[in-house]
Amino acid sequence: MDKSALDHDHQDVPSDAALRVKALESLLVEKGLVDPAALDALVDTYEHAVGPRNGARVVARAWVDADYKRRLLADGTVAIAELGFSGQQGEKLTVVENTASIHNVIVCTLCSCYPWPLLGLPPVWYKSSAYRSRTVADPRGVLRELGLEIGEDVEVRVWDSTAASRYFVLPQRPPRTDALGEPELAALVTRDAMIGVARVTVP
Amino acid sequence: MGGMQGLGEIGYERDGPVFHAPWEGRVHALVTVLARYGRWRALRPEIELIPAERYLPMSYYERWLAALTALIVKSGLATREEIADARSRPGSERFEPAITAATALAAALQPPRTELATHVVEPRYRVGQRVRGANLNVPTHTRMPRYTRCRVGTVERDRGVFALPDRDVYFQDPKPQHVYLVRFTARELWGESASARDSLYIDLWEDYLEPA
Repeated sequence: MDKSALDHDHQDVPSDAALRVKALESLLVEKGLVDPAALDALVDTYEHAVGPRNGARVVARAWVDADYKRRLLADGTVAIAELGFSGQQGEKLTVVENTASIHNVIVCTLCSCYPWPLLGLPPVWYKSSAYRSRTVADPRGVLRELGLEIGEDVEVRVWDSTAASRYFVLPQRPPRTDALGEPELAALVTRDAMIGVARVTVP
Repeated sequence: MGGMQGLGEIGYERDGPVFHAPWEGRVHALVTVLARYGRWRALRPEIELIPAERYLPMSYYERWLAALTALIVKSGLATREEIADARSRPGSERFEPAITAATALAAALQPPRTELATHVVEPRYRVGQRVRGANLNVPTHTRMPRYTRCRVGTVERDRGVFALPDRDVYFQDPKPQHVYLVRFTARELWGESASARDSLYIDLWEDYLEPA
């Protein structure tokens, strides 16, 4: 096990994994299997184009447009396509709504299923063995550990997305935001609120 | 691993880069591009062949790299010797760069059709029906978490017809069948220490269920 590969800080020496990937890529390019420009385009897309800002736009639209919200809850895949979002891991998108009495939280115990078109690639902690193993059995404890206390009068629904559907949480709109427009509302929405491990708050 | 204990810290971070090192992004992109050659159905079954004592301490993209390398060798895209010194051997298969940047992006940004909408299969269960997780102990790839075995839940929704991943990922007869969203109460799964209000929702293939 190469410790440096787990080191998320800056590294002076390339990790074993970095060297192996570089060698593998150059071999695959030499054999004509891979075009480096295709890899560049994919990395750029997942680093910059696909990410939680997409999901935040969907949430803000649902908060201001009751018809859109109805369509979103009825068929997530079709409704996000209206805003131009689609792609791998977005098929059969199911949107679940947080209310005063229901709190939804998403996990994948299998590995890392996650709605890429709206949230980008999942964060490291979402893929951790601890989050995957504990969230199904003790959601309230996990949420508390992440800073979110759920009242005893609120029902917690855990969505284990190991199959064909991907899940996405429509968070509650914070109070006293009537004066805000869609872009201002979208700016309040965090990735974690759309996973269900945080609330949307007004700073 | 749902419901297991002793698996360490969550390691929560509010913000973090998409890729923690450039090689992670390259591995992610390589997996997307090479999948287009159609020589394997999914990376996941190969990741499951990593022994648990090696799997647990590996990072997410180290697992991807290990599984991808194994699939490249098994499927004949390159040999172990070629990978070892990063040089292709004389007479080895040559490919046209089939996957351009444009086709790679199109593949990533278009939803794959996983639902077998044209298959007409009679559903065995209906919404509202009580079902029990079958006592299946599958040594190969499956999408049935062990915590649902022998537990009773309620069908909330019929998702439509899908290939059974247990077979489909190995290029076997996909056995098209209905997938159901099933609700289990937290107490049914985890006992009296769980909140009586809480529940868990999961999509399960018909083969994973029996009537309760």
